[in-house]
Amino acid sequence: MSTIEKITQLSHRIFNTSVTEQNVVRSSNPFAASNFQKNILTEDVFESSKGKQDNIVSFTGNITAGSKRIYSTFVGSLGSIGNKFYEGIESIVEFCSRVKESFVTTLNKMQELGNREVGNFNAAREVLSRDIKSFFAINTREKEIAKMASMEPHAQIKPMLIESLSALEADMAKAA
Amino acid sequence: MMDKTMIKTNKNFCRVCDIIDSLTINPNPDSVAVLEEIGTNSSIDEVREMTSKALVKRNEFASLSVVISNKGKGINDMSTVVAMSTINELLSLEDKQEAMKVLENTISSEGFDEEVKENARSVKALMALS
Repeated sequence: MSTIEKITQLSHRIFNTSVTEQNVVRSSNPFAASNFQKNILTEDVFESSKGKQDNIVSFTGNITAGSKRIYSTFVGSLGSIGNKFYEGIESIVEFCSRVKESFVTTLNKMQELGNREVGNFNAAREVLSRDIKSFFAINTREKEIAKMASMEPHAQIKPMLIESLSALEADMAKAA
Repeated sequence: MMDKTMIKTNKNFCRVCDIIDSLTINPNPDSVAVLEEIGTNSSIDEVREMTSKALVKRNEFASLSVVISNKGKGINDMSTVVAMSTINELLSLEDKQEAMKVLENTISSEGFDEEVKENARSVKALMALS
């Protein structure tokens, strides 16, 4: 090769660098624009030494940032499930109370208007005006008394009365 | 000793109450015999009081005779509370005809103790006024 040819080749390389380095990406990585055997590095491939410590137990594992956001949203929503459950029950109780109150109010208003037929519903209004808990308790007791009232006094009721009285006397002796 | 408020909340006392209440409305006349035999002979004042009231509420000749004509029972009970409660229940009766019959029978009969007759006279006077 003559000297002139060598100079031509050199000038060609000096002034036409894009022939061998087509993709030059500007980034914060100082090696990004470097040519490693014609492989252009456009991403930061240098990991920190902390990242290679596999033995460290991590609660997050290999969860990606996107997944973390989804999980955090899910966990956040869990806290409100309990509240929503109680809110649901409370709303049912409120609904029942509203129905009861509105029914009683309606009956009262009808009676105020002087409607005679409403007198037939007095018993229903009294029942609805009662406390719900006492309503169930009274019902159970009344049913029990009605059941015993149809039993045979000597054969069935007498032994029950004797047994209950003995238990009561024993309780009183203990308390003394 | 268990006081009055404590006994009324006792589970077994409530059970006794329920049984006595059932005997009050039981149509079987044998109920009176059970109330007389078990209830009026109880050592607990509250049970005797309740039994006497139940017998008055039945408003039958047999049941009223137990609380009016028997010594130590109903209006003749040793406990003032039991006697007064029975009298109060008699005065509260809407239909006093049967009770008046029993009282007159007790006052006029020779077979009863003088103390029983005296109590019957007093109650009769009260009932006539009410």
